[in-house]
Amino acid sequence: MNKLRLKFSKNGPIKFIGHLDVMRYFQKAIRRAEIDIKYSEGFSPHQIISFAQPLSVGATSDGEYMDITVNSMESAADVMNKLNAVMNEGIKITSVAELSDSDEKAMTAAYAAKYVVRFRDSLKPDFDWINEFKKYLSQEKLPAMKKTKSGEKEINMKEMIYDYSFDEKDDSATFLLAMSSSATLKVALLFGTFFESISKELSPLALDIHRIDIYKLVENESEKYIEPLICNDIESRYYLNA
Amino acid sequence: MNYNLALSDETLLSIEKPERYIGNEVNSVVKDKDKVDIRFAMCFPDVYEIGMSHLGIQILYGMFNSMENVWCERVYSPWLDCDKLLREKNIPLFALESQDPVKDFDFLGFTIQYEMCYTNILQVLDLSQIPLLTADRTWDDPIVIGGGPCTYNPEPIADFFDVFYIGEGETRYQEIFELYRAAKKEGISRPDFLRKLSHIPGMYVPSLYNVTYKEDGTIESMTPMFEDVPATIHKELCLNINDVFYPTKPVVPYIKVTQDRVVLEVMRGCIRGCRFCQAGQLYKPLREKDVEHLKQLAIESLKNTGYEEISLSSLSSSDYSQLPELIDFLIKNCSEQKVNISLPSLRIDAFSLDVMSKVQDVKKSSLTFAPEAGTQRMRDVINKGLTEEDILRGSHEAFLGGWNKVKLYFMLGLPTETDEDILGIGDIANKVAVEYFETMPKEKRNGRTIDIVASTSFFVPKPFTPFQWARMNTKEEFLDKANKTRKGIMSQLNQKHIKYNWHEADASMMEGVLARGDRKLCEVILKSYKKGCIYDAWGEYFHFDVWMDTFKECGIDPLFYTTRERKDDEIFPWDILDCGVSKSFLLREWKNALSGKPSSNCRKGCLGCGAAAYGVGVCQEGKN
Repeated sequence: MNKLRLKFSKNGPIKFIGHLDVMRYFQKAIRRAEIDIKYSEGFSPHQIISFAQPLSVGATSDGEYMDITVNSMESAADVMNKLNAVMNEGIKITSVAELSDSDEKAMTAAYAAKYVVRFRDSLKPDFDWINEFKKYLSQEKLPAMKKTKSGEKEINMKEMIYDYSFDEKDDSATFLLAMSSSATLKVALLFGTFFESISKELSPLALDIHRIDIYKLVENESEKYIEPLICNDIESRYYLNA
Repeated sequence: MNYNLALSDETLLSIEKPERYIGNEVNSVVKDKDKVDIRFAMCFPDVYEIGMSHLGIQILYGMFNSMENVWCERVYSPWLDCDKLLREKNIPLFALESQDPVKDFDFLGFTIQYEMCYTNILQVLDLSQIPLLTADRTWDDPIVIGGGPCTYNPEPIADFFDVFYIGEGETRYQEIFELYRAAKKEGISRPDFLRKLSHIPGMYVPSLYNVTYKEDGTIESMTPMFEDVPATIHKELCLNINDVFYPTKPVVPYIKVTQDRVVLEVMRGCIRGCRFCQAGQLYKPLREKDVEHLKQLAIESLKNTGYEEISLSSLSSSDYSQLPELIDFLIKNCSEQKVNISLPSLRIDAFSLDVMSKVQDVKKSSLTFAPEAGTQRMRDVINKGLTEEDILRGSHEAFLGGWNKVKLYFMLGLPTETDEDILGIGDIANKVAVEYFETMPKEKRNGRTIDIVASTSFFVPKPFTPFQWARMNTKEEFLDKANKTRKGIMSQLNQKHIKYNWHEADASMMEGVLARGDRKLCEVILKSYKKGCIYDAWGEYFHFDVWMDTFKECGIDPLFYTTRERKDDEIFPWDILDCGVSKSFLLREWKNALSGKPSSNCRKGCLGCGAAAYGVGVCQEGKN
């Protein structure tokens, strides 16, 4: 039995496929690829698959993750190749890693996510949003109201933004935001609160969001950093300020 | 992958289920449009989830795309939110694969499965910016072709179609395409093309016929305008069901659709001569597929789709002679792959119960019986060969096997029906409950009890059935009968274990009008559509009052088509078609029905319906 973590991208029209349908898509793809996936016990067995974090409908991504358990395999790379042979264009497995029993599930390990955010052409702001955003972010506290199951609560977004940059030529922003079971900051909340702070309205359809990757936290005696859930390159690590 | 969607991101994100409009599903076919000379848009005029569940489209889609120079794409009715946006923004309706406007295609095909989708046909034409009437179309428009069960009486929608393909779609399209290519090459006119098209067997070009009416409103004659146009159109039929194309790479939708599984058609046609059933007559004679062929199709389809469920499809799977072998094979192969098997339309007996207990969770599943009528007399009238004894014996064995949910289906408004027949419904339901309590003494019930759902639908007489002469009930009669049924059930000893459901009477009446309607109804349908009627099959969007107003406006009495008594020698609008069974046979069966005489089934004894002329299937059994 092996546990595998697969990283995949989701681009093009596939971005309109909702999270549950992506799961159903993979269940069928795994059958088409004849992967020896492990099933749960019971009268209606299901494949042992779990996803890191749902992506909202309309967003693209180069950093989605799912964990699967197989009864047998030739190699992790072989599983990836077999799956890619039956993928639709638009969804591609880009890397695979074998997990040990002690590894946390992708869902639990997720700590942060990086996004590139643009505005859709027809809904671009009519003001210099990048400069305004920089000013906004320079404040010491960034309070926002987050909807929860039981109502609303105030959060400080500042502590949930680990990194950011703007690209004026591309008219885009890149954000590294908290995304864990204890704290998650959504791009839409950040942009919405920013727009509100300068008395502007943000159309819910305006943001064109692309997820670059999902990160986990690595903490040991000497250092503390975050890196992609599958990390093949230490350049992609972020050292967090203590 | 097609990255150029017809709708913008903003539009797609502002409507329900954008997946309905983006194409790119697994196994959908994309070709280079410069390398094909026929582009076919195949439409199921209802919402994506319904249309994607239809086997017929998957067959033709696969078959067309297996032809090198043909590219077939899919079109469905946009849901109301998308419909509104397309109209507001003047975006022409597009096919899913290329996202190109439908109006630029060579053909637009509709599969017409139920009468209540007629206004959706107009919706699709309208949104595609194609003239609604065949008379107004030019070579700039696609050839609009209709097929499917409702085309066995195409008269109410005759004005909207260039041609109807009568019968099974696998046989004639190659010829149609050849003729189309030649017509384009030679530069002949569109009317000339349609006239030539009418020479291909199975093609009914309604604009080439004159219809005259008698004073009483019935048809006097339907005659071709030209000598070379056939006076009768004979249905097309696959003579070798094992050789025809079958799709083992059906398109797999992303979203959950109604039929979300591999569908394996085991046979076509039916040996049972239920007198209310149209499909039973239209697909005669019964033709079985070879079991080895089916095994291969099942394995390939599961492999190519990744579906976790396979369903057998036919009108009466229990009549498939190789059923035990096929099911054994599927159980053996599917359990390894964790594939579920679904077995609709099985007769409940020891064999099917044994199979069902192997493939489904007995505690969760329910038994289904369709006695269709409450007394043996009534069941003899409709020739439904299911007796009370069958039901009680089947129930008995099922209760012993652990089942405790039973569904019973009945029809109200059948010819010759009396109060006794109506009250018989409650009686049967009660007897099933009694059977449960007798079979399962208290100590064996484990705290469970019997749960019965009885449902009634209102009987709608259909063309090409022995009941095509039958008077249909009025709305009031229907509701009165539903009320009597409910009271009958309420008066039963075990009534608290029986739940009763009945259908809407308005929709049934409308269906009855359209089913046996004539060309005069084209105007009513067109006007109702223009007043906003679409999605009539969806109860909540069906505007009965608008339809009734339109009938009044057009000076047409809808009851003419439903409650009127028809004479034996009346010329019906569909008499111009030949579905393979003779009118004299249907009339014989109608008389048998009226005198309560059941008839045999095709395997027990031939009734001489006329389908033996095809020389295939059950008509040939035992003759070789």
